[in-house]
Amino acid sequence: MKIRYLIGICFLLCAAVAQAQDSGVAARATEILKDPSADSAVVGRLQEAAAVKVHARQGGWMRIESANGNGWVRLLAIRTTIGSAPSTQARGGFLSFLSRPSTGGGQTVTTGVRGLDKEQIQNARPNTAELQKMAGFAASKPEAERFGASAGLSRQQIGYLKPPAASAGQ
Amino acid sequence: MRIRAIAAAATLAIAALPAHAQFRLDLNRAIDTAKNIGKATTQMTEAQEIDLGKQWAATLLGAAPLMAHPELQSYVNALGRWISLHSERPDLPWQFGVLESDNINAFATPGGFILVTKGLVARMKSEAELAGVLGHEITHVIQKHHLKAIQKGAGLQAGANILSEFTAKGRNQAVADRLVGGIKELMLRGLDKDDEFESDRMGVVLAARAGYDPYGLPAVLQMLNAMSASDSELALMFSTHPEPSARLDTLERVMGSQLDRFPGRPGSRQFEKLVLGK
Repeated sequence: MKIRYLIGICFLLCAAVAQAQDSGVAARATEILKDPSADSAVVGRLQEAAAVKVHARQGGWMRIESANGNGWVRLLAIRTTIGSAPSTQARGGFLSFLSRPSTGGGQTVTTGVRGLDKEQIQNARPNTAELQKMAGFAASKPEAERFGASAGLSRQQIGYLKPPAASAGQ
Repeated sequence: MRIRAIAAAATLAIAALPAHAQFRLDLNRAIDTAKNIGKATTQMTEAQEIDLGKQWAATLLGAAPLMAHPELQSYVNALGRWISLHSERPDLPWQFGVLESDNINAFATPGGFILVTKGLVARMKSEAELAGVLGHEITHVIQKHHLKAIQKGAGLQAGANILSEFTAKGRNQAVADRLVGGIKELMLRGLDKDDEFESDRMGVVLAARAGYDPYGLPAVLQMLNAMSASDSELALMFSTHPEPSARLDTLERVMGSQLDRFPGRPGSRQFEKLVLGK
């Protein structure tokens, strides 16, 4: 029984790795660059709606493979294709607690989706015990500052982006 | 007439909170607010906003409890609180949580209570992605998008009908139930689409201000775009938000190359440890 369970996990992991590559299309014509940087050399061009395979993301860039060349394009110039994502990501960290039964809510695990679909919100009764539990995990401002510092993060001065201009004729 | 309905709805939101000690509000204050609210419909006090948000969050937690993973809950609080410090409302009592739900969604409530589902976190690849989603939710709070929705009468208007009874008899369970009903209706209806786009636009900046790669949120939207809209895990989010492709189109227009100067840093190692299992 346990062996079968382990085999199942291995199968899920292998499947996730095999499907980890997304496919996508170019949302508009765009340049394929040698490196993930706007001033990098152009190695090809994608026509609008050209198909690509996405191998990696780095910041605002995706490393792609296409009939017109391989390299980096802007992440927002690509739209991943519907249906190309794996339905579940079976991974070490979450695999262990994805299978862990929930506490306190009293839900069964017979359905695939627990909580937060329309009916479950409609039937929900406020749970103040969980609310108190949530408060118990809160971080203070000094704790948050320490988190940022220990993670090597520092405050950047950046203004908010302007809303898009009203696009006539679109 | 419209103003009166707005006032009634907002007052109900303020006043019809349950009898738990931490939610208790002064009835006279609530009635005073009702009288004044026609003049200034947006002037719910911060304390009232927080009380409403607590009731809202308790309702969500009634649909799905917190994940039984204290280390993850503490981590999400440290990360979320860090991002909130870069917002215009750093002093709210911000709280964050991961819900025990395979559904893919994230929620904010008034006053700074933010919940993401296990199903969404499980599909993320980096701390920057989580930072982007939290930045989006934090924006809903700082821009008071829920209060705008209440003022439009969405959801809570039905409860206004029993306001007079409430003020005569004081707090009662029926009124509290009607408030929760209104909150649920708003949750299922979702916020204004323009407010979702605004949260995307400001959320990427909040993540970047906190030192992260601003493209975490767009990467999550790309992931959602690759999922089938008919997937039951996504049904509620897709029915309450613009399509991921529309959100990506809008972000492309507003971001351009403006944030290229802020590549960001990977952040803590905790995401890899707790979520990716590395």
